[in-house]
Parts: sequence; structure tokens; C-alpha cells
Amino acid sequence: MARRITRRSLLKGGVAGGLVLGASLGGLGISRAKPSKGKEPIRIGGQGATSGAHADYGWQMMAGATLAIEEINAKGGVLGRKLELKFMDEELKPATAVKNARYLVTDWGADFLFGIDSSGSAMAVGPVLPELNKLCFFCHAATHRLTEELVTAKGIKQIFRMVAPVYQDALAAWVFKDDSNIKRWAGINCDYEYGYVAWNLFKQNMKKFRPDVEFVAAAWAPFWTMDFSSHISAVMAEKPDAIFATPWAGEGVMLLRQALLLGVFDKIQVWWQGMGGSVDLLEGISREVEGNKFQGKLWATARYIHNYPDTPENKKFVEAFRKRWGKFPNYSAESSYSTIYAIKAGVEKAQSVETAKVAAALEGMELKTPAGSRLIRKEDHQAIYTVPAGRVIKTPDYPLPILGDLKVIPAKDYFRNPPFEPVAATK
Amino acid sequence: MLEKLVFQGLIGLSLAMYLWLLSAGLTLVFGVLGVLNFAHGSLFMLGAYLAFTFYGKMGWNFGLSVILSLVGVGLIGAILERFFFRRIYHLEVPYQLILTFGFILIFDDLVKMIWGGVAMIPPVPSFLDGNLLVMGRPFPLYNLFIILFGIGVAVFLWLALERTWWGRTVRASAFDREMASAIGVDIPKIFTLVFVLAAMLAALGGALGTPVRVVAPGIGTAMIIQAFVITVIGGLGNLKGAFVGALIVGVLTAYGILLFPVFELFIIFVVMGVVLMVKPEGLFAR
Repeated sequence: MARRITRRSLLKGGVAGGLVLGASLGGLGISRAKPSKGKEPIRIGGQGATSGAHADYGWQMMAGATLAIEEINAKGGVLGRKLELKFMDEELKPATAVKNARYLVTDWGADFLFGIDSSGSAMAVGPVLPELNKLCFFCHAATHRLTEELVTAKGIKQIFRMVAPVYQDALAAWVFKDDSNIKRWAGINCDYEYGYVAWNLFKQNMKKFRPDVEFVAAAWAPFWTMDFSSHISAVMAEKPDAIFATPWAGEGVMLLRQALLLGVFDKIQVWWQGMGGSVDLLEGISREVEGNKFQGKLWATARYIHNYPDTPENKKFVEAFRKRWGKFPNYSAESSYSTIYAIKAGVEKAQSVETAKVAAALEGMELKTPAGSRLIRKEDHQAIYTVPAGRVIKTPDYPLPILGDLKVIPAKDYFRNPPFEPVAATK
Repeated sequence: MLEKLVFQGLIGLSLAMYLWLLSAGLTLVFGVLGVLNFAHGSLFMLGAYLAFTFYGKMGWNFGLSVILSLVGVGLIGAILERFFFRRIYHLEVPYQLILTFGFILIFDDLVKMIWGGVAMIPPVPSFLDGNLLVMGRPFPLYNLFIILFGIGVAVFLWLALERTWWGRTVRASAFDREMASAIGVDIPKIFTLVFVLAAMLAALGGALGTPVRVVAPGIGTAMIIQAFVITVIGGLGNLKGAFVGALIVGVLTAYGILLFPVFELFIIFVVMGVVLMVKPEGLFAR
């Protein structure tokens, strides 16, 4: 009996010790999550796709944000506080993105969130933000629903989008509306929200300008499509004059390469590659552009291109980025870089890192950024700035193909305006 | 309409050949060793990455790069069989699941560590860069090459298994392990060889795709699901079934994209469902 009691008391002691230890650790966690004022850094938590075929986008976000943070810290930080970055992989999975956001705010103690490549992840993180009560600046996810539904209709004021949304892809309608030779359009689009909305917006606008245009075929490719030849041959069977395509990153490169093998560019007049102005995609088709395989028929836009606008701010950014990373900045890099400066501007105007105060400070603010003047629209928290479309060309000035023959259409003409009429996010 | 169907069918046939090379090894390992190797897709991915390294990075000859990638993945296969799979033959299926799933995770992370996450695409070998007219439309030479190559591999496998002494021993071991062992067949050796052959078939599928298909971590997992559908349709463990199953899935996918683009993804699962209801053991099961 005596032995038994000793064992039991030992166990009790152990449990109690464990509880104390756990409590003190928990306490530490809490004290870290609420940094005292003074010299504590301002913590900025980011996430993007850093693995898989779309991995360059997450890397570019991390690179752009790091550059801005280094610049700002070298000049003494924001309100005398340094900026600190932590960047995570969202894996293009909504559940992972939500988990990351929770971890960054509650465990790591982030004051601000940014990043997110996938629209699906963005739509999952958005509704969690009021509960976390931190601002999240979206730097790539493009679905119109993020700002039109979550901010304007549902009133989630913690969402800001610094990057051009899917309205940008529909720019094709403005660029080609006056080309009367193009009557038959076909689509090869992503089999998820981004592809559906881009194609629907394009069709809607094109029909308004040109009632005579027909949409003759549509093929849908999900994430992890390795081979697009059956999609291409299916739409080519309808003999289109022009193709509207949305697959991006490595998948976009493969789509274009397979289209060349199928002789598509001998048959069509124009191929519009929505995010074809992205640096990684241009790099992937560099050889083919140099060999004039696309016969000057490949057109694209992006959410920022490094050769526009021709301003000192943009030149300085591109040079600093190339010096720091040895690469050209992509649009996710520019939007992340501008996000960090937007946080700086917001915090300085509000004289605080408090969510509501910074949000109010940013509404209606106009920022000078590498991509040009960005107006943060009050109603939907969408940054408005112009990105041109252009023909994919090779010039001796750049090691990679760029967009040339630029068509500059002001953002206010092709961005949607509140109050928003619904667009179908379905096939 | 006929022209459209023929052309799309041929495109589907080339899709089917990658699936056939992947499913052949999967079904072979199941038929002979009795193991359902979920990590088989990872061997496909490793084949693609090795071929990419030799052909895309080092700039070596395409054929040589493919052969080297087969040797490399064959070696990995030998190690996997000799040191890991051999220990679980006598255990229940859940153990196979855990072991092979573990390898998927290990290989995916290994690929990310070695090659990084960014997709990289080398050029199409010059002798296959071009197209010829089929039904008045340009058809890629590369796809034609893949179709012929896939059929060639099917003929080779059939001859090797049906017409050689080695093939007879393999079939005997698959049919009755103990009896084969009793009459002097070296079962462990046969198992290693079959596993290596299966690994090389997977690597071949991956390697041949490097110039025209996306190479990225995770492609193995994306492919293996289709390979399972194929082996279920054709009958697990049956090579003829894997070939026909791959043709059905490849061609139906292509036709689905042409004729029913809105619910194309769904079609092959409908076919699998119907086969499971009508002939649950698969079309070609003995």
C-alpha cells in the first residue's frame, strides 16, 4: 500500500509539474503574441505558393517584400520600429492558407498579413480575418469575389487587394474589339474560379463591343494538367480566329509549347495569354520567341510588367530588385513590395498598428508605387492602377522576352465599379 | 465530324501511352509481388527529373538521357525492393499502404530539395520537333513517336513474358510462389528483377514526357490516381488489361474534352463505376 501511494503521489507531482511548465510556456506564447510597444518589431506574416509548378510566384512575393523591408529598416523602420518578415507556403490549398494565417497571427504575433496566390485560398482566408482582426493585403489571388463579395457586400474591412484582379484578363476585349478580322474566339481556361471568371468577363465585354463575334469552343484544364494537347486540338477543331487562354506559370509555358507542336500559330491570328506577361512564363518561352515561332501573334498582359511605366520609381525598383536577387521582378514581387510600403504609409498616417485605424488611413489613399499611381478604392479596398497589354517580343535591351507594342487602356475604363452586377463564377 | 473524332482520338492515344507505361509497372508489381505500390507514381516523377537533369541541364543526347534515367530509377527500385518491400510481403495490406505512402512524401520532398519547386522545360529534340498533316490538320511528330513507342513497349513486354524462359518463371512465381520455389526458382531474385523492370517502365513514362509535359514535384501523385483507375478497369495484375484500360482512359479523356468539356473530368470515373458494377474484377481478369 505504502508503495502504491508513493507512486501515485509521484505521478501527481509529475502531472502538476507538467501543468506548471505548460502554463508558463503558454504564458510565454501569449506575451509574444502581444508585443509591448517600444522597440518591438512590427511583424509582417506572408504566404504564397512556394512549391509545385507555380512556385516562382511565392518566391517572388517573398523577394519583393524582403527588398522593401530591407530598404525601410535601413532608414530606421516605421515609427522607430523595425519590420520583421515570416513567409510560409500556402500550397494553393485553402485549408493550409487558413492554418498559416491563424499560426502567423496567434502564434507568431503578426501585426499584418499579406500574399496568397490562389483565389480559393483567398476566399477561405478572407472570412477568418474579422476574427483574427488583422489586415491582410492580397498580392496575387485575382477572383473578383474577394473584393466584390467579401469587402463590398459582406463588409470585411480587413481585406485589401494590392494587385490587379481578374478584370485585367478581360482587357483582351478592349485590345481586340476593333479588329474586324477576328470573329471566332475559343477559350482554353483553368478549370477553377479564375478561369471561369476571366472567360465570362471577357465574353461579356466582347459581346458589348462586338455583337457579331462568336465564342466557338471552350476547353477546361484543372491544376496538375500535364498535357494540354487534347484541349488545344479540341478547340482547334472549331477553327477559331483567336484563342483566349488563362493557364499560368509552368502550365502556361507547356500550353504554348504544345500549341506550337500542334501548328496552332499557322492557323490563328491572335493568341491571348492572360498572365503571359509574367516573367517566369516569358523566361520559359524565351527560345521560341527568339526563333519567331509565335509569328508575332502572341499577346499578353500581367498584373504589372517591369518595362512599364517609364518612371524613376519603377526604374529604381527594377534595378534594386535585380541587384538584390539577380532576376527580373514579377508582378507578385511588385505587389508585395508595394504592400510593404502601403503598410508603412498606413501605419505612419494612423500613428498606430491598430487594425481599424490603419484600415481607415489606407481607404482612399493614393500611393506612388513602381507600377504607377495606386489608388486604394474606399468601397471595395481594391488598388486601382493601369497595366498595359502587349505583343510578346524579344529586343536586344533585355535578356528575356518582354511585352512590346504596348496598348495602354486606363484602369478606370476596364476595372469594374461598385455597385457590382454579379458575374457567374461557373463554366 | 469524323475528321474531328479521328484527330482527337489520335491525340487521346498519345495521352494513353504515358498512362500505359505507368500502369504497366503498377499492375506487374501487383500481379507478381502482390504489392499495391502507391509510390509507383514517384518513380515516374523521378524518371522525369533525372531525364531532365541529363537532357535539359547537362545538354546530353535525348536518347542517352532517357536510358540513364531508366538505369538510375531501376537502381532506386532495386534498393526499394531489396531493403524495404521485401520486409512487408507477408504483412497485411495496410502496412503496404503506410510504407508506400511514406515513400511518396519522402520522394516529393527530396525532389523539392534537389531540384527546387520551379517547373523547368527543355526543348523538344530536333528530330521530333515538327508535325505532319493528319486529316488536314498538323499532328505533332512527338505524339506519333510516343504512340509507336508505347505500342513497341507493349509488344516487347508481351514477348518477354509469353515467349521467354524468364517470362515463364515470372508467370510461374506469380501463379504459385511456393510451387515455383520448390522446383528451384529463385523467388527473391525474380521479385527484385520484376520490381526493377516496373520501376524502369514508370521512369520511361516520366522521362519521355520531359520535353512536352510539365515536370514538377507532385506529378507522380497526380498521375497515380489515373493509373489506379486504369488497373481497376483492366483488372489488377493484368498487363493486357492495363494496356486496354490506358487506351480507354486516354481516348475517353480526349473525347470528353472535345464533346463534353463541362464535365469531362467525370467521365473516366463513370466508366470505372460501370466496370465495377458489371465486372468487379476488371475487364481482363482471369
